[in-house]
Amino acid sequence: VTVEPRVTLLRALRNELEITGAKEVCDRGGCGACTVMMDGRTVNACMIMAWDAVGHEITTVESFGTPEKLSPIQAAFVECDGYQCGFCTPGMIVSCTALLKKNPNPSLDEIKAGLAGNLCRCGTYGRIFEAVGKAAKVMASTKPAAMKTVSRKGE
Amino acid sequence: MAQQPAPQPTPPIPTVKMKAKAGFEGKPVEMDINPAVGDLKPWDLDTKFSVMKGRYPRLEGPLKVTGRAKYTYDIKLPGMLWGRMVGSSVPHAEVVKIDTSKAETLPGVKAVWTTESRTVRFAGQDVAAVAATTPEIAEDAARLIEITYNEKPFVTDLEKAMEPNASPVYTPEQVPGNASIPRNGNILGPQTGRGLKRGDIVAGLAEADVRVEATYRVSVHTHAPLETHGVIAQWEGDELTIYASTQGVFTVKEGVAEALGIPRTKVRVITEHMGGGFGSKLAPSASGSQFAVVACRLAKSAGAPVKLMLDRKQEHLCTGNAPSALMTLNIGAKKDGTFTAIHHKSYGSAGIAPGAGTAAPLSNLYQTTPHILGEDHSVFTNAGPAAPLRAPGHPQGAFGLESAVDELADKLQMDPLELRRKNDPSPVRQMQYDIGARAIGWERRNKKAGVYEPASGGTPSRSTKRGIGMANGEWNVVARGSGVGCEVRIHRDGSVECFSGAQDIGSGFRTAMAIVAAEELGLAPQDITMHIGDTRWPEGPGSGGSNTTNSVAPVVRQAAYDAKQKLFASVAPALGATGPDDLEASGGKVFIAAKPSKSLTFKQAAAKIAGEQVAATAERKKQYELYRSEIAGLQMCEVEVDVETGQVRIIKMVSVNDCGIPVNSMTTESQVIGALIQGASWALFEDRTLDRSYGTMVNGNMESYKILAPSDMFEAMSILTPVANLGNNTSTAGIGEPPAVPALAAIANAIFNATGARVRSIPITPDRMLAALAEARRRA
Repeated sequence: VTVEPRVTLLRALRNELEITGAKEVCDRGGCGACTVMMDGRTVNACMIMAWDAVGHEITTVESFGTPEKLSPIQAAFVECDGYQCGFCTPGMIVSCTALLKKNPNPSLDEIKAGLAGNLCRCGTYGRIFEAVGKAAKVMASTKPAAMKTVSRKGE
Repeated sequence: MAQQPAPQPTPPIPTVKMKAKAGFEGKPVEMDINPAVGDLKPWDLDTKFSVMKGRYPRLEGPLKVTGRAKYTYDIKLPGMLWGRMVGSSVPHAEVVKIDTSKAETLPGVKAVWTTESRTVRFAGQDVAAVAATTPEIAEDAARLIEITYNEKPFVTDLEKAMEPNASPVYTPEQVPGNASIPRNGNILGPQTGRGLKRGDIVAGLAEADVRVEATYRVSVHTHAPLETHGVIAQWEGDELTIYASTQGVFTVKEGVAEALGIPRTKVRVITEHMGGGFGSKLAPSASGSQFAVVACRLAKSAGAPVKLMLDRKQEHLCTGNAPSALMTLNIGAKKDGTFTAIHHKSYGSAGIAPGAGTAAPLSNLYQTTPHILGEDHSVFTNAGPAAPLRAPGHPQGAFGLESAVDELADKLQMDPLELRRKNDPSPVRQMQYDIGARAIGWERRNKKAGVYEPASGGTPSRSTKRGIGMANGEWNVVARGSGVGCEVRIHRDGSVECFSGAQDIGSGFRTAMAIVAAEELGLAPQDITMHIGDTRWPEGPGSGGSNTTNSVAPVVRQAAYDAKQKLFASVAPALGATGPDDLEASGGKVFIAAKPSKSLTFKQAAAKIAGEQVAATAERKKQYELYRSEIAGLQMCEVEVDVETGQVRIIKMVSVNDCGIPVNSMTTESQVIGALIQGASWALFEDRTLDRSYGTMVNGNMESYKILAPSDMFEAMSILTPVANLGNNTSTAGIGEPPAVPALAAIANAIFNATGARVRSIPITPDRMLAALAEARRRA
């Protein structure tokens, strides 16, 4: 992909690669709708220039599961109705995935802190917290070997 | 302007007489109803549901959680250009010159549009637009457009705009709104809407033993949906396809066709998934912009599809907001608490638009009060026009009315719940009071406001106090009795399709309609393939006023029933039945009602269809008689206030609400919880701030226009009280608006119970909280 230097990672993903899960909502790192992972760490893709992402591993919501085979967090969102319009959902899923990787058994306050950068306008936070709790339980009952490990670098 | 054809006299619709069991469990009411001939008997209290009693995840859920759901914002067409609107940078001016020459010569720019209007009345009003090969070039081109303004004085503040020598937003002859409404400077009113006048307000107040008079203020709230307004316009010859982030695909179709002067047959509008609207996306473009029409013009002149999404700041400025309010409530009651009179005088600003309408709740609540008067005034300011926001006018109005009722209870030394119960004619809410009180633990509230009692729970530190409050809300049943259709097709392989043009704005409409069809066909919701959000399908309403489900569900049920009868006719001989009337469908089977062992699976039954499919199209003929024309609800709230910092934390909110018979309790509850959260967000944080010196929005983003975030979250509980309300063959009513009404007042009343301090301004920011605490201390 070749883009102008001023193009953000988010716009390169969306407009050039047509990976449109991550959304541009506030365009200044205030809402988390564009959350993706860069080398395993969550970032706001609207705050990173595309050329700063060169050589880094970018993980978007699309890579966690497919509609046919959902990840435990994605399945829990569906079961708990963790969305309404669904526009914040891709960012939420990425943040929840990162949260559970760091802390497989978060308390309610830890869930709130882990999602502090993600806004939902329809008002679905409670359902999302439930979904995280449910996913944590499901993941704890499955073998850790089944979980994909993502290498972390560049912290 | 196109002339509206004179309304044709409607011929009387032939009806039949039926009986149905309306009301709610424990209080059934046998009702006589007169549906149109051919319409189905409504689902009522006697109906044994097999599908609708369940809780169902959304059908599109897997697409949404994997990032595969394609919203308007995600669509990219071959050769597509990127459009960008240019809004006025000043709040009030004559446009002297728009110079687009530099923009036009910028490489990559393919089309430019400029407004014909010479007057701008708010910062952000459409002036020009561009389309270019990349969004970045479109942004450059937008900056290169030079606009010369002849600036005029302006006013952005509600109370300043009311002053006699305030600068006028309109000249007297330009003032919009009904000419019969009095006008005085920037003030349009008083206007007394339907249901806002009864008896003699002066006499009623004079009869009172106790009176409360107080003034309340509410900030302007912007809808701020996460997906901004926007469209993609694509011409193929003279055929126009518009992908729109809208609450009304048919509204877009009609509005754009009329603006462009092309036949409606040439326009198709599609909304597959939609990223939030809350009332702001009901116009063809937006309340304060023509961007959809502009995108179509840019696409036409560039000869390529154009995607035009507003940016975040534009979304705040020109796509609508909920009017501010400045309200004086005057309530009188007898010593025993019986209301004698309520006077609600309200001023609100819908920016440059009329119709602030913030006295509205008085037409719904406390209808046995003998003397009432609601007086609405719209105050023009140089700000973007308002748009409906979940229960337009009601959250603001209920903040005034329900705060004043609470103040009256304090003065009467009565329990505020008992005072409301005493004056409430709604049998539904009478039932809800007990449910709500149990859910919040009403008995734990401080018997004397601000005086902590251990029973109120929590672990109050030296500086925190807890309290419990409540407020009522009501919304009217709004439904389309005609102009709504649906088609259901049963294919020979047993697969089923359901077509409705109406759109799912995040309410769960798609799934709800599949559930209704599945209930009628004896299948599971996932067996129904839904086709929605497309003007090619049968007409559906715009999703506003809580009317979508109860307008469309009855035709989905009717079409499913009619298709089923055709299926039964094909199957009857094979099952040895005398005709379709002997058959029933349930649990994935078709069987003889009198002999369920004589059955075929739905798939086997469908294989008996002679052709490829049987199909039925149904249209709504008329609305049925209603058990109650209102949807009743109330909210209970527990808060914790830090009296040293003024910080308010919500601990718990409970909504008890009627919505007819809920189709899918899971998504209905989500909608209610959403209303609690949006209400809490408005009550504590949201305030569109316009710069007094420049008239532009100071917080036109999402970090200074604060909305409730995960860390502010409280325990949110929705309790639905099903009511067989009739009205249509499914007894469904709406839930989008009703729970949006009480939250502001419930929170303020809980704060009073916690602290003894009355905050009469929304949002309840720490500085206002501290000021109210200081005022309470002075009085004590």
